Amino acid sequence: MSEENWIEVGSTDSIEEEDLIRFDHQDKTFCVYKLTDGFYATDGICTHEAVHLEDGLVMDDEIECPMHQGIFNIKSGEALSPPACEDLKTYPVKVDNDKIFIKID
Amino acid sequence: MKNNIIILGGGQAGIYAAREIRQNDSKSNIKIFGEENLLPYERPPLSKDFLLDKKKEEDLYFHSSDVLKNENIEFENISINKVDFENKKLFAKNDNVYSYDSLIISTGSENKKLTLDNNLKNDIYYLRNLEEAKKIKEIVSNKNKITIIGGGFIGLEIASSLSQLQKKVIVIEIGNQLMGRIIPKQIADLVQNTHIEHGNEIILNKQIEKITKKNGDYEILLNDNSLIETDFIIAGIGSTPTVKLFDNTNLKIDNGIVTNQFCETSIKDVYAAGDVSNFYHPFYERNMRLESYQHAQNHGICAGKNIAGVKTEYTSIPWMWSDQFNLNLQLTGICDEYDEIIKRGNDINNGIIYFFLKNNKIRGACGVGIIGKVGRDIRITSKLIEKNTIVDKQILSDPNLKLNKLMQK
Repeated sequence: MSEENWIEVGSTDSIEEEDLIRFDHQDKTFCVYKLTDGFYATDGICTHEAVHLEDGLVMDDEIECPMHQGIFNIKSGEALSPPACEDLKTYPVKVDNDKIFIKID
Repeated sequence: MKNNIIILGGGQAGIYAAREIRQNDSKSNIKIFGEENLLPYERPPLSKDFLLDKKKEEDLYFHSSDVLKNENIEFENISINKVDFENKKLFAKNDNVYSYDSLIISTGSENKKLTLDNNLKNDIYYLRNLEEAKKIKEIVSNKNKITIIGGGFIGLEIASSLSQLQKKVIVIEIGNQLMGRIIPKQIADLVQNTHIEHGNEIILNKQIEKITKKNGDYEILLNDNSLIETDFIIAGIGSTPTVKLFDNTNLKIDNGIVTNQFCETSIKDVYAAGDVSNFYHPFYERNMRLESYQHAQNHGICAGKNIAGVKTEYTSIPWMWSDQFNLNLQLTGICDEYDEIIKRGNDINNGIIYFFLKNNKIRGACGVGIIGKVGRDIRITSKLIEKNTIVDKQILSDPNLKLNKLMQK
């Protein structure tokens, strides 16, 4: 893993707690979350149907798809509730000088 | 204790019931009897992504046969034609007899049919299962002017899909608004505008007087004497619970199989779940029958828990969606008991929601917006309903104020 893979997303104050922002990089979309214990990142599109999770509800470490209510654990990506059954990919996140970075492979 | 559990009906409620039983009971035999020779599959895409060729048959199955095998759930394509509740036996059309200790009925619902001359019975198409969807998909590829009788969810979703396939579509609805059975007129009118903008013709307040076949095409005569020429007709005029099998039994039926909040029917060891059940909802303190994805799933799960001995009340706040063109419509709760209506948002691109309140608490809400735009607020609303929250109407009506401010921590 090289340093170049860490991509800057924005400043730490750009996300409210228990909320997320969408981050587009090249042709991919990600969601970056601020939970009570830190920042997390997942793919930005639901695994059930091609819907952006940016409009979903973040609650108790979970993101719920706004279209059909599939639920994923933000930290593990695990699909927790149908209709979602395929896990959501997660990405490492680090904070450096109040900037959020995610590592995209 | 090892029981024989039979699940009658191989749809969504049935498969979720089966898997939930297995989660709680590793020993019992679990058998699902399905009328279709297909593993349980998702029906919502049939009128949308399947017609549009964005989803294939293999994308529709809830679970592979491996999942069922691993969980030791048997699925059989068996048609039952008689039930003996007293002796706990099911009689199949192939003369086999099956005994059960516990039974879940999840036979679903079936399409109402138009009353027509016999010679037209095979000319009108309906959409509920995969086979019907395949037929419609194949035939419409050679048709251009399609009429849909019934402006409910299924009709409008088909109308949206066929319009996207460049077909001329006419929707005839007997009522004075689209989706009138459960969707508030304010939202229905927004959806109607979108259909019209995309070139679909919507005819309200009209009844079909007569359909005549002419040179392979059809003429539909309406009750105002207007005539519609069309080359293909699909009807979606509602559905009824599939309960004919239980005629002349003691099972209590009233707009579906009557169940309590534990999915129990009037007969011991017999449960019902999904579209077929007219269940008691403890929050709304009344019986209701729902036909939705979320309900089929959650009600099946609840029946599964109860049959496995985990006594569980069914308290899910109703929720459903429909996707038409680039719009996603969502409804939560019940929108027919209210003393006040509050609107949130003015721009369909960002979502518009109507809240239906009674005594300052939300009873139901319905919203529509470009895909993804109303989901979060509708979901928060479900939670506000469930918690009986007295809501700040200023926050509800102002889309710049986040609805989660209303959540009680």
